[in-house]
Amino acid sequence: MTQSRLAIDVGGTFTDVFVFNEETGEVFVTKTSSTPSNPEQGILNGVEKAGLNGKDIKIFSHGTTVGTNALIERKLPKTALITTKGFRDVIEIRRGTKEDIWDTYKDTARPYIQRRDRFEVTERIDYEGNILQAIDEEEVRLLAKKLKRRGTESIAVCFLNAYVNGENEASVKKILKEELPDVYVCISSEVLPEIFEHERMSTTIINAVLGPIMSNYISKLSYEMQNKGYEEEILVLHSGGGVMTSSTVPRYAARLASSGIAAGAIASKHIAKLCGFDNAIGLDMGGTSTDISLMYKGDIRITKDWSIEYGYPIGFPSIEILTIGAGGGSLAWKDEGGSLRNGPQSAGAVPGPACYGRGGTEPTNSDANLVLGRLGVDLLDGMMQLNKDAANDAVKKIADAFDQSVEEAASAIIEVANANMSDAVRLISVRRGYDPRDFALVAFGGAGPLHGAYLAKDLNIPKVIIPTHPGVAAAMGCLLVDVRHDISKTYVKKLDEVNVEELTNQFSELREEARALLVEEGIAENSSSLTNFIDLRYKGQWRSLAVLVSDQITSLDAILEAFHQEHEREFAFSDQGQAVEIFGLRVTAIGTVPKPNFPQYAPEGSLEDAFKETRPVYFEGKYIETNVYHRDKIPVHTQFEGPAIIDQLDTTTVIPPGFTAEVDAYKNIIITVN
Amino acid sequence: MSTTKLEMNDKVQNLDPVTFEVLKNGFVNLVDQMAEQMLRTCYSFVIYNRDFSCALCDAQGNTVMQGTQDISVHVGTLHLTAKAVLEDFADDIHPGDVFLVNDPYRGGTHFSDVRVILPVFHDDKLIAMMQTNGHWADVGGSNPGSFDITAKEHYGEGLRIPPVRIYSKGQYLTDVVKIIVMNMRIPEERIGDLRSQVEAAKVGEKQLKEMIEKYGIHTVLTAFEEVQNYVERLMRAKIKALPKGQWETVDYIDMDPQLGDGLIPIRVKMTITDDEIAYDLSDSHPYISCFLNAGFGSALSGTYAGTKTFFPDIPLNSGFYRVVKIFLPENSVVNAPSPVAVSGYCSGAFEKIMNACFELWSSIMPERAIACSFNLEYLLIGGYDQRRDSSEYFMWYDWMAGGHGGRIDRDGANTTSPVFGVGLSVQPCEGQERLSPVVTTKHEIIIDSAGPGQYRGGCGVEKGGILTDVNQTVMSYCCDRSRSITWGIMGGLPSIAQGAILNPNKEGERFLGTIFSNIELKKGDTFTRPSAGGGGLGDPIARDVKAVLEDVIDEYVSIERAKLDYGVIIHEIDRDLDAFEIDMAATLKERDYIRKNRHRWLGIDPIEVEQMYNKGEINQMDVVRRYGVIMDYQTNKALPISTEQYREAMKKRSLAYWG
Repeated sequence: MTQSRLAIDVGGTFTDVFVFNEETGEVFVTKTSSTPSNPEQGILNGVEKAGLNGKDIKIFSHGTTVGTNALIERKLPKTALITTKGFRDVIEIRRGTKEDIWDTYKDTARPYIQRRDRFEVTERIDYEGNILQAIDEEEVRLLAKKLKRRGTESIAVCFLNAYVNGENEASVKKILKEELPDVYVCISSEVLPEIFEHERMSTTIINAVLGPIMSNYISKLSYEMQNKGYEEEILVLHSGGGVMTSSTVPRYAARLASSGIAAGAIASKHIAKLCGFDNAIGLDMGGTSTDISLMYKGDIRITKDWSIEYGYPIGFPSIEILTIGAGGGSLAWKDEGGSLRNGPQSAGAVPGPACYGRGGTEPTNSDANLVLGRLGVDLLDGMMQLNKDAANDAVKKIADAFDQSVEEAASAIIEVANANMSDAVRLISVRRGYDPRDFALVAFGGAGPLHGAYLAKDLNIPKVIIPTHPGVAAAMGCLLVDVRHDISKTYVKKLDEVNVEELTNQFSELREEARALLVEEGIAENSSSLTNFIDLRYKGQWRSLAVLVSDQITSLDAILEAFHQEHEREFAFSDQGQAVEIFGLRVTAIGTVPKPNFPQYAPEGSLEDAFKETRPVYFEGKYIETNVYHRDKIPVHTQFEGPAIIDQLDTTTVIPPGFTAEVDAYKNIIITVN
Repeated sequence: MSTTKLEMNDKVQNLDPVTFEVLKNGFVNLVDQMAEQMLRTCYSFVIYNRDFSCALCDAQGNTVMQGTQDISVHVGTLHLTAKAVLEDFADDIHPGDVFLVNDPYRGGTHFSDVRVILPVFHDDKLIAMMQTNGHWADVGGSNPGSFDITAKEHYGEGLRIPPVRIYSKGQYLTDVVKIIVMNMRIPEERIGDLRSQVEAAKVGEKQLKEMIEKYGIHTVLTAFEEVQNYVERLMRAKIKALPKGQWETVDYIDMDPQLGDGLIPIRVKMTITDDEIAYDLSDSHPYISCFLNAGFGSALSGTYAGTKTFFPDIPLNSGFYRVVKIFLPENSVVNAPSPVAVSGYCSGAFEKIMNACFELWSSIMPERAIACSFNLEYLLIGGYDQRRDSSEYFMWYDWMAGGHGGRIDRDGANTTSPVFGVGLSVQPCEGQERLSPVVTTKHEIIIDSAGPGQYRGGCGVEKGGILTDVNQTVMSYCCDRSRSITWGIMGGLPSIAQGAILNPNKEGERFLGTIFSNIELKKGDTFTRPSAGGGGLGDPIARDVKAVLEDVIDEYVSIERAKLDYGVIIHEIDRDLDAFEIDMAATLKERDYIRKNRHRWLGIDPIEVEQMYNKGEINQMDVVRRYGVIMDYQTNKALPISTEQYREAMKKRSLAYWG
């Protein structure tokens, strides 16, 4: 019996399958069409296509857009919100801001719970946690009866100041559970006991609307997988860059709001580490957008400022991903001021780039790459033919507008696309105090390897890594994570007003809760680890910075020093004379899941064996007859100079003149900027 | 007062398209990087909630680029303060210098907006200026938060900072900074803001130097010019495609407290010629005796921002200002000279200019039409916090979201930040309750607050609270539109009056109006105030009855006002199940009744309306929506002059469209 690890990432269009056979070290990848109306079907198709029996599978990890789609399409269970009297509209008032501050016709998305489903009860807790007004049991029971009549399926409860004292929320939950035993109830003090009512309410609501959906989905999937013979837990990827088992899905459903998006970043981190880099920028460029992530000293940047739709934050730590509207299908255009623009509009899947021959006539990045010969006319091993004439016609529109040759226009289109992506990379690196010269760029997704080398040059990034399977890297990412939970609380106090003992006690409570979660997930003691973080800021500042704290806190001075250093690194200044304040505490619980050991290969054959053809490719103002290679036939440890084009099923890699490519023992391509 | 003399620039681009696009986006990125750093290191909560802007200016002080999230109110003023530094220091500007300025009589907005200006040199030649501008929580003066409505002159409002050097050739001038911050509340936090802004400007400088290293000084300087030319060209191209002609309108500030009854007109006349826009505010009122006046910088800003809203995709820089000419009369409410008080301009003249521009542009570009939006308001409570053993000074400084105007094909946005700056975020009550002895008792949407229309305005918000353990505590308010009530267009109706109420629904309830300061408060006092909904767009009795029903279910609109404002008769079957019924026959009848009588209602003697109100036969919404009457709700008397002015405007905006 073979032992395989299976990872499946369900995206909007494709379901990506990545199988790693532990005995042979072989990797199998495939793609099937997603089945949005019945997502588990696409997964079962993928399992079948991989030729797997449930008994062959040792671990199944899964990333999914089920939660994302449900939110965006508002296909949600009938959910009620219960708040403190006077505060049911906090979720609609939000912080009042809009994403586009100038366009009065671009609206913020409407709340996930309409006003008619938002209810209030009399209760109040003050900022210190004192109960100013207790729950009126009769009032809550009456409300519960009303909700029952309304056919409510799920309830979010969020009271003011419940982050300091969750008693009133807990009382309401108890009554609701008595009156409505089958209804899913979540309360803000359990979901995310952190200050700021809108952010906590928003997170609690998303948890409530996704709770039933994600629970049903996972239990249906578990059932189907059991029928196939798979007996183990399904590991579901969450946005914090870890997995959870089905047992914690109901409690932390909001973390699955963008289950899939973290996978690419994780894959990028793993591949970079494999190649010996501790600092890496991940660039996942697809058809319509590019996701950028950053790893520094082995850790991916985490943010608490994220949402699926602007205005409705999800307060759990999440892998920081910057998404921009630049992809293979992004349109090039000339604006009324005479400037050459690229994106964010995209030709999408329909009609798609002009070269797809599906009716598109406007020039896209793919068309420009085809015109330049960087992309060949055969894609997906000949399963798809591109139409070069159509690409030429489309790019000619730009050429005519700027009085250039078609090749010059195509180069200009690509350069502008690259510049836009470089700007985005700067936002996540330079803007945060990171110097791109200290990083490697991991370029993947269908279009990343076409652009990676140029981006690196633009940003002075010395090395580019093209993973073995750039098109299914996200699925691979699902295999590479541990069980992870983040338990946090707001705790505001001046650092010089606390002592080591108090801080240790505060952390002990969080650690206990975190450990209990891991036990619930069935993680063995020796595979568990807990890490403490403390959020600090200069007294008077509004934002805080997280500083790692050792398990055994021995001195506050060390914490203070670490904060000054971090502030200095991030903002280029620190203020030793200013008082420092604690803002929050967090414990990250990791349950280590065994990772696959990807095999290293020995060289076999020669570069000539990989030779496919030559074709003229336009580089720096002229056509150069360029060698095209089959990626899977290039022997490991081979080094060669650009220009070269490398073809494989899921992408095309461009090695421009002046760059050197090397295939490493894991079959990654490492491009060096000379 | 007019903007930069216009020179038609037909020059073709001097940069290849790629370099140009790369540098243009690079400049935006550079400014956004400064903004991000400021946001993450600032001390003033006003800055933290995004009342700030940054800019890259060229060696002449022209704005090359503003940031993507910059607040509207600073648009078109950053180049003025950069130029003020150049004027005052001319050849005496050196590498390592940093300047500070907040002077509204030199193109600034109000004292609270403190700008750090860092000149950038290349080979000893001044090539650029980085500017970071943030609203400091306090800049001194007699009132906490530096809003004093009783001030007629600026001397009591806070510290006026003309262009002043705070770093000389890299040397931090401790004494200069001290004399500035020691005149403000909580000086250490002001130093923190200063530091944050200087460091943010340095981030921009560093990024610019990297661009110069990569592209060469000549290319970058050419791009400074080209990016401005580009915006100018883009704007001219857009204007060329517009109809030509002249449009005018008037919006009002509530009053001059010394003059009594009578709205204060701000008249905006706009002319579109071949490829330019000219604004003339000539017939606006002389400056008034309270701080709602605007200095010239903020008046220009309101006009630019009001225009820019209709061209949302155009980047902001001095190229834009070359195409928009503005004339502001001397000594007027839109161009108040020193030492006339202007610190409340944001609630006063500024938003009136913006909304007047919105109205003018709505008729030129109906596809982007928008009725009047609620008025920016700042409520300040300052005093001593007795909750702990130590008695500490506290400041509860609050602003609300509100309703935006109805639009051509949809309702206005509910509960959105003011047009003053849609990026300005409202504060969480939980944060406020930690910092001050004020407990918020409600923060909710107000039923029926939206101005009725075929597309109604967005809903307004009410926020109120109770004072707990306080001592020596006072309240001040910077607001407007208790009389010049948020109006509708194209047949739409007004929303509701703004203004704060002390001890609502209790003995001693007092309507305090929209501008007051130093009202003494004690433990147990309560207060509340609404933000208005947006004005409606289109005839309310043409509104889809189903939309009215949906609003009733969500309690955005009451059953009573569905009838009064929309002529829709709805019966409640079972509210618990959202079950209601529209009575179509009665609706047709009611709509017919409104249609036949509404012209007459707008002509009824205000005194008669006042009597109906005081007898309880009608409420405040009826007074303005149905009768177009303006009342003083402190005395419950009708205001005949204000009513006449308001009705005249309402006839043009509403009645004229009813057919």
